[in-house]
Amino acid sequence: MKWDFSFIWTAFLDLLPALPTTLYITAVSVSCGFVIGLIVTLSRMYKVPVLSQIGTAYVTFVRGTPMLTHLLIVYIGLSMLLDHLSDKFGWSFNSVSIPMIGFAYIAFSITAGAYLAEVIRSGLLAVNKGQLEAAYSVGMTTFQALRRIVFPQAFAAALPNLSNSLIGMLHGSTLAFTVSVVDINAKAQIVASTNWKFPEAYLAAALLFWGLTVLIERGTALLEKRINVYNRGGVA
Amino acid sequence: MIHLKRITKSFGRNEVLKGIDLTIRKGEVVAIVGPSGSGKTTLLRCINYLEKPSDGEISIDEFSVHFKKPHKKDIHALRQKSAMVFQQYNLFRHKTALENVMEGLVVVQKIPKEEARKRSVELLEKVGLGDKLDSYPSQLSGGQQQRVGIARALALNPEVILFDEPTSALDPELVGEVLGVIRKIAKEGITMIIVTHEMAFAQDVANHVVFMEGGVIVEEGPPNVIFNVPKEERTKQFLARYTSESAYSI
Ligand SMILES: Nc1ncnc2c1ncn2[C@@H]1O[C@H](COP(=O)(O)OP(=O)(O)O)[C@@H](O)[C@H]1O
Ligand SMILES: [Mg+2]
Repeated sequence: MKWDFSFIWTAFLDLLPALPTTLYITAVSVSCGFVIGLIVTLSRMYKVPVLSQIGTAYVTFVRGTPMLTHLLIVYIGLSMLLDHLSDKFGWSFNSVSIPMIGFAYIAFSITAGAYLAEVIRSGLLAVNKGQLEAAYSVGMTTFQALRRIVFPQAFAAALPNLSNSLIGMLHGSTLAFTVSVVDINAKAQIVASTNWKFPEAYLAAALLFWGLTVLIERGTALLEKRINVYNRGGVA
Repeated sequence: MIHLKRITKSFGRNEVLKGIDLTIRKGEVVAIVGPSGSGKTTLLRCINYLEKPSDGEISIDEFSVHFKKPHKKDIHALRQKSAMVFQQYNLFRHKTALENVMEGLVVVQKIPKEEARKRSVELLEKVGLGDKLDSYPSQLSGGQQQRVGIARALALNPEVILFDEPTSALDPELVGEVLGVIRKIAKEGITMIIVTHEMAFAQDVANHVVFMEGGVIVEEGPPNVIFNVPKEERTKQFLARYTSESAYSI
């Protein structure tokens, strides 16, 4: 078998239009997941009745099942539910009205939320209890204490794990092809099969993902250096 | 004037404070001494509401809180009337010395930044840290951190400052600088409650000494009485053990 190296570059350019799709799925799922994770973590921390139990069940279930399963459950389950409701109430809105990428947004937000809940929890656990007490002692409300004192330190502690989750979701977003969303990888398959050059197209996709991953890692390292100034000196 | 009335606190079935009554006049420096586990820290934490007392009442001038059913608003007000200097300093780790002192002024008391900065710089100079404004806690020695902690408490201008063994986490050679600062502010008429094992310091700086054991106040009075002619047998035993222990450690 002969490699067509120049085709790697051609394929690479062909993949670029699919880049925003991959980035959107990753960005939406990580941002929504962060909000979900924060709500779950805080309700578990403050032992909010019902919400905390639901949160615990959610985290164990989602972390215990593959990401593809979440996508299929959301796609099939949500479609069936919507179609049933729209039949019953005579809505014009049904599962076909939702763009395919919408299912990926919802499903992967659910996936990310469970992982991020754990990341946020471990970040918060890394903050010494004395920090919160000192904040109370100077007269802050719980909200002020969390926002000004606890969260910034928890964020710094959680940053490496946050970055890993972001990378995980970036790579996981390729599963969206199962619901016919054309992300970078799906695009590679299209490019490959129309030109009958599989290895080159997939290699181009791999390089693109690798590049994005390195960008995330570099960004994290920069951010870490900036927000961790306070850890310099001392024994750390 | 601060009144503590019948303050009790239990952790589960363990009753740690068994009805504490204490009156502190304005500008008074009260030293609390007693064996470890007697409830001294818990009492201070109750005054700052870092611990919820089981029952009792505190009043500071006209303001008062009943601990059986406190209002959220009152808890917040109580915390603002008192400030704690912690055994482990508990400086905000991600903020510089100056930001640590400014934080409460800006966020809680809503004082304009420039004014807060000016006041904070003055206070840090007062505790001898005028050259460490921009240092993070991790760059400061224990003694320096504790002096920032004292400046942070002073900045809030509270009705009372609570010190929980402010020097017991320090290396011996750093104890002096912190006690020196406390001694200095004690002379300025700020009301203070100090839990300490430094008996010589307590005798020297306090107007009133309280001996606690087993969750009750066993004896209280002026320092020369408590340290030289205590009435209660338990006080005598404690002080005797204490002086012999410290003699031994030298
Ligand atoms: N958060 C807590 N939970 C359970 N027990 C506690 C807690 N804090 C303190 N205690 C108990 O209360 C008692 C008094 O503790 P403390 O106030 O720290 O004493 P002191 O400061 O005089 O050494 C001790 O027996 C301690 O074990
Ligand atoms: Mg103690």
